[in-house]
Amino acid sequence: MSASNPVLIIGAGVAGMTAAVELADSGIKAVLVERQETVGGNALDLYKAFPTDDCFYCFEGNRWRPGIRKCFYRSALIDQPNISLKMNSEVNTISGTPGQFTVTLSVGPQYIDPKKCTMCGLCLEKSKAFHLISPQCQPQAVVYNPSINDDGAKQAEEECPTKAISLNAQPTEEIIKVSDIIIATGYHEMKPVNMDEYSYGKHPNIITQLELAKIIDPNGESNGVPLKPSDGKPVKRVMMVQCVGSRDENYYPYCSKICCVFALKHANILMQERDGVQVSVVYMDIRTYDRYERYYHTARESGVEFIRGRVSLIQPREDGSLDIVVYDSLLNKYLKFSVDLFVLSSALEPPEGTNKLIESLGLKSASGFVGIADPKTENEVIVGDHIYACGTALGPAEVPESVTQARAAVSKILQSRK
Amino acid sequence: MVVVYPMTEMDEQSGPPITLIDPIDMSKLDTKFREQIKSMPNGEELSACFACSTCTAACPIANIWQYKPHQLIRMIILGMKEEVLSSNEIWLCLTCFQCQERCPQKVRVTDIFFDCKNLAAEEGKVPPNIIGLGKELLEKGQLYTVTADWEREDLGLEPAVPGLSVDSMKNTLKKTRTNKLVEGGE
Ligand SMILES: Cc1cc2nc3c(=O)[nH]c(=O)nc-3n(C[C@H](O)[C@H](O)[C@H](O)COP(=O)(O)OP(=O)(O)OC[C@H]3O[C@@H](n4cnc5c(N)ncnc54)[C@H](O)[C@@H]3O)c2cc1C
Ligand code: SF4
Ligand code: SF4
Ligand code: SF4
Ligand code: SF4
Repeated sequence: MSASNPVLIIGAGVAGMTAAVELADSGIKAVLVERQETVGGNALDLYKAFPTDDCFYCFEGNRWRPGIRKCFYRSALIDQPNISLKMNSEVNTISGTPGQFTVTLSVGPQYIDPKKCTMCGLCLEKSKAFHLISPQCQPQAVVYNPSINDDGAKQAEEECPTKAISLNAQPTEEIIKVSDIIIATGYHEMKPVNMDEYSYGKHPNIITQLELAKIIDPNGESNGVPLKPSDGKPVKRVMMVQCVGSRDENYYPYCSKICCVFALKHANILMQERDGVQVSVVYMDIRTYDRYERYYHTARESGVEFIRGRVSLIQPREDGSLDIVVYDSLLNKYLKFSVDLFVLSSALEPPEGTNKLIESLGLKSASGFVGIADPKTENEVIVGDHIYACGTALGPAEVPESVTQARAAVSKILQSRK
Repeated sequence: MVVVYPMTEMDEQSGPPITLIDPIDMSKLDTKFREQIKSMPNGEELSACFACSTCTAACPIANIWQYKPHQLIRMIILGMKEEVLSSNEIWLCLTCFQCQERCPQKVRVTDIFFDCKNLAAEEGKVPPNIIGLGKELLEKGQLYTVTADWEREDLGLEPAVPGLSVDSMKNTLKKTRTNKLVEGGE
């Protein structure tokens, strides 16, 4: 086994990025494979993060890095020579033996060189083929949509001041040898289209928490002002429902663990930072575990209305608002509300492709997420021989926990190489 | 990007018909009631309530109440002013403070029910038996007349309570709101 073999990291969310940077800083080469056009995963547009209410890219643990903290991942992911970042890429096959895996990758075409792009915006004016996914996107570069291959795009290619654009870039197949694999494929927020009682997907003002996060993000389209998707008018009344698809044997039997916390984070932002918005939360139990009880307390103090019970029925009105009847099990009464936005705290489920990964590597499954190899050892990041997992690939978790697991996985690899 | 979905599918609604449920219309409730109680003596903690129902578990009498203590607190938070202030429960409360002592969120449950009684009295919503008690107090200067009976004798007590002055009590009470209540003023 060659100690100089790189480590493959699948998924460049918070967990995968942390693992890559920590390995690279310890002198180990890391190949970070991400299927999307930006890294950051689900945490990309989340605005304030619990537990610190800090910006999502500025966690305490990164403060020692030089430069402004927001540049942390940029400098690390692009400039750290030990990290090889593969965007728009997927793992095709994994063969070989533990410690000596052979991996084939489909690497997407690199239309924009992130090391060169300065986000000057020139190309954005030339053609709709270019766009900026989010001001927080990493790598900090525009992305190109090849299906809109117009003259403006060609012009931009010529005029880009840093020559960052290459419209003829081609996808490639790469074969690499790695010693270890870290699975950091994260989670997916369930789209509750099959739950008739919530009418998700049938009315524009019925959304999920992740969709709400985008709406209230000050970097978003309306600068964080909550507007109704139906007509763009201000939102005055919001109702949230907890445990949508979680703790439900018809969907996912487990508690998604953090939806109570992020729902209340959103409720507090709406009540405290946005003008005249009233929030109600319909719940079965509020599970703001550990130190997060603070969010629950703050929510009650700021006047969030809590209704223990379930939604009885939803009636849309002509003006886009929704009449919602809720059964209040504490009062044994039915309450009728009129709301502008109905937000579902939907289950966090394994992302697409997890099953295939679990099967092809012969791993265990834990309710569809990657399961730990030997539950008795309490080594929660070891999922196979030379195979590790961290973050929400193991099941719903907050960022601090994901980061801690990423560091644990790195530390296991470092120990094994001593 | 504003995505507009067709709304027609929503016309066929699922669930029980609204007429059978007859819900409480939240827009008809008094949202200021919560603030009103919070501004009254010892009402500040109201919104800390998380509906654990410890207060109801502690209450020695709530088993016969229609609205239990945790439900009354909840009704205050929701703005069900009318129901709370005309409820019998706030007057049936023994003011034993069991609920308040045990509340894990330091909600001063008993004090809040006291505040409710004051608000109800201001609106003239005092049950007749309570008015009756007030009347008795005004007329007699005391609620329970101490009679010279064998029990006092057995205990070696004087026949009358020494130093008890019901007249000065009556005079004082005339100038209080108790008098106004009994006379049907306010
Ligand atoms: C509404 C909401 C609010 C939240 N707020 C907070 C908060 O305030 N504080 C907090 O700590 N946490 C919060 N969270 C949780 C937070 O999003 C997660 O803890 C964190 O994003 C987990 O990071 P991750 O890297 O494990 O997974 P992800 O962010 O899901 O990243 C996984 C990455 O892997 C990629 N990927 C997946 N499969 C493959 C594959 N086969 N090949 C290549 N790439 C793949 C994905 O594209 C993705 O980029 C919130 C979650 C939600 C839903
Ligand atoms: S013109 Fe070049 S440098 Fe400017 S944003 Fe576009 S790709 Fe980046
Ligand atoms: S965290 Fe809260 S909303 Fe999410 S599944 Fe658990 S109890 Fe339900
Ligand atoms: S004990 Fe306190 S927190 Fe619990 S229901 Fe009663 S008032 Fe609310
Ligand atoms: S003070 Fe009143 S409500 Fe509280 S426990 Fe005693 S009787 Fe019940």
